[in-house]
Amino acid sequence: MSHDHNHSARSPKIRIEALEDLLVEKGLVDRSRIDNLIQKFETDLGPMIGAQLVARAWTDPEFRSRLLDDADDVLAKENISGAEIEHVEVKANEPGVHNVVVCTLCSCYPWALLGLPPSWYKSPEYRSRVVREPRTVLAEMGLDLDEETKLQVWDSSSETRFLVLPERPSGTENLSVVELAALVTRDSMIGVAKAKTL
Amino acid sequence: MSERLVHDIGGDLGYGPILHDPEEPVFHYEWERRVFGVMFQILRITAQRPGEMRYAIERLAEQDYFEHGGYFGRWEAVCELLLEEYGHLEIGELDQVLGALEGTGPASRARRIEKKILNLLPDDVEVKIPRAKTVRRVLPNSPRFEVGDLVQAPETLQKGHTRLPAYVAGKQGYIVAIHPAEVLPDSSAHGLGERPQHVYCVGFDGEVLWGSQSEKSIKIHVDLYENYLLPVKQH
Repeated sequence: MSHDHNHSARSPKIRIEALEDLLVEKGLVDRSRIDNLIQKFETDLGPMIGAQLVARAWTDPEFRSRLLDDADDVLAKENISGAEIEHVEVKANEPGVHNVVVCTLCSCYPWALLGLPPSWYKSPEYRSRVVREPRTVLAEMGLDLDEETKLQVWDSSSETRFLVLPERPSGTENLSVVELAALVTRDSMIGVAKAKTL
Repeated sequence: MSERLVHDIGGDLGYGPILHDPEEPVFHYEWERRVFGVMFQILRITAQRPGEMRYAIERLAEQDYFEHGGYFGRWEAVCELLLEEYGHLEIGELDQVLGALEGTGPASRARRIEKKILNLLPDDVEVKIPRAKTVRRVLPNSPRFEVGDLVQAPETLQKGHTRLPAYVAGKQGYIVAIHPAEVLPDSSAHGLGERPQHVYCVGFDGEVLWGSQSEKSIKIHVDLYENYLLPVKQH
């Protein structure tokens, strides 16, 4: 056996392809179920679900206070359910307070509200550094906060998942909920960015 | 401090810049997509207890955790580990299929499951098991701590799966909120029963965790299970 061959047998790409074939052959997994699951997560889920909640909270003070007090109840009433949102807490940014979410031990994330997490969120760099030097990390990612702003980091170590409610950008008073939702990015709901401006 | 496993990296120094792309796709390569789909099929026939799959990831060797294709690479490694541990694959079977040397695959390098000492875990309590799949439980006793209480995280916990990050071990913080009670993953991941606990959001000031070098006005919140926490007398 050549050295090169053994090298390629280490790659996760080669291994998962062989593993899937082997499991199908053994009758342990069903390829069509795998395909369906992938498609569901890739197309049905995404940050637009969280963005809708944020946009409504910006326009409806009663909805906002319910979302901050008891997000689980809001999600139940809105029929939003799915993976990784068994218990959700929403943390509101406001003048002088900024929130940012991480999972240092794993990469926990509210999938059913934001879709699957981006690579940087799952990276050892983000997970290790954002609890030690959050201001530096946010500045590196393009978000400069002034020194007076209190910075609150939420490490998702239990089964609770966190969503940041970003501040509503100024000059958006006349926008509809749909137009507002388009300003709410995935990053702004993790807390590494502000919502887009017009 | 307890012996740290490979995943417990909060606050560690030496990591570089974050490679941030705001428009990043969900999957970068087709193989990541396949890992994602295969994993959920494998979980139907392997790790089903709360915390069990996570503990399998935590037992990977450093090279497989950090240098085997990132997040989905870790999942691929764990698929192999769980399939071998549950007896769905022979040891080294995938290496054989690939014509590779035995021990090429990540399962061969993973740590074994630690045996936990039962009387270091909190007692189990009898509670109603919900019909829907959930880790939430309703406990008969009220939470031991209230919002505002000063508490201390333990210096050590026994080896194995836990949700106590090393960076808060031995540190003092305040109860900020009380979450719904949950199955204790330290126990359930090891197949030792649910032993559900009240769960608290504990806020730690930056200076408490990182000393005088800390950035100003930062507070780090960590969710901790009741059995971890020690009360601190306030003057």
